[in-house]
Amino acid sequence: MPSLKDLRNRISSVKSTKKITSAMKMVAAAKLKRAQNNAEQTRPYAKKMSEIVSSLVKNQGSKEFKFGERKTKNVLLIICSADRGLCGGFNGSIIKFSKKLSMELSNKGLNISYIFVGKKAYFSLRRICKDSILENFTDIANPSVEFDLAKTIRDKILKLFLENTIDECHLVYTKFKSAISQTVESLQLLPLKQQELENDKESVNQLYDFEPDEEVILNEIIPKNIAIQIHTALLENLASEQGSRMTAMDNATRNANDMIDNLTLFYNRSRQALITKELIEIISGAEAV
Amino acid sequence: MSFNLEIITPDQVIYNENIDLVIMPGIEGDFGILKNHMPFLTYLRLGLIYIYKEKKIIDSFLVNTGIVEVTNQSCVLLTEDIVRSKDFKSSEKNDEMDQLKTKILKKIYYS
Repeated sequence: MPSLKDLRNRISSVKSTKKITSAMKMVAAAKLKRAQNNAEQTRPYAKKMSEIVSSLVKNQGSKEFKFGERKTKNVLLIICSADRGLCGGFNGSIIKFSKKLSMELSNKGLNISYIFVGKKAYFSLRRICKDSILENFTDIANPSVEFDLAKTIRDKILKLFLENTIDECHLVYTKFKSAISQTVESLQLLPLKQQELENDKESVNQLYDFEPDEEVILNEIIPKNIAIQIHTALLENLASEQGSRMTAMDNATRNANDMIDNLTLFYNRSRQALITKELIEIISGAEAV
Repeated sequence: MSFNLEIITPDQVIYNENIDLVIMPGIEGDFGILKNHMPFLTYLRLGLIYIYKEKKIIDSFLVNTGIVEVTNQSCVLLTEDIVRSKDFKSSEKNDEMDQLKTKILKKIYYS
């Protein structure tokens, strides 16, 4: 049975842990708000871009183009995770998803290479896929996700794609649904899935005048579209991380509260027991005299 | 005779107003957009955008590539790299791109 002093120490240590978790929760909530705002602000650009691309691809018909599909042999996975831990199952589910995905792909006999964004997935997957890691970007959200990062990644994958080093490129990220619910998803960046874009939505089929011509514009627009897709994914990933951390820290604070209650109860009981024991000793001592 | 011009970057909508005329540096030469322009899609090179209202230049931007979509009553410019001409500062690197931009800014106005 722990002594009273032990119990007191234990209670005070749980209390200070609680202080940390509740502070982290509040910080995460503030950061989540900011991340959501940022994600909100890119929406007009992304929306307009996808409208233009889908109407262009529709007009294009089934003509072959630079970023079209070809026989797949080498696949590039871009895996976005967080730079820090203490955010519940966030990094864990990304890692699990990536492992599953790369297993599926390698069972099909494809070569996989990786680009990591964020430290956590890199640290836990680097041993499994050490030779096939092309690059690792860290400190991405410091203080906020810059569009330049998306551009750098975009340039890199386009270069690899046009050199025929890779034939397919997927982006693994966490889609933000709400502060308490996020799902890991993979998004195919390259090659373009024509059919998906065509069935995207009932966009107004405008008859445009093109300058210089459709194909050139399409080849110019697609890299921009890829960059914004990466950027949006990174922002959603960041929002998800903060959301997930907020929930995790909220739970931790609540658990700490429960623990303090239990420990305090136990402490008071033992204290009372000790007092009663002493009294009994004194009384029986007095009776003996 | 005004129409709506929107300039959108990945970070924000930086311009959204009714204007009379806009002149942009298209890939095959500068072009002006007035109201009721036919649907038009092109992309830009590095250059200056001039925005006119009531026959005066009310604003100008330095743009480095972008996509312009003109539909019936509106004109949308999507670009990753744009800055108001008067806010332009060359970055610390002062690379080739910055020098080009500075040079373009020194150009005399159209008309």
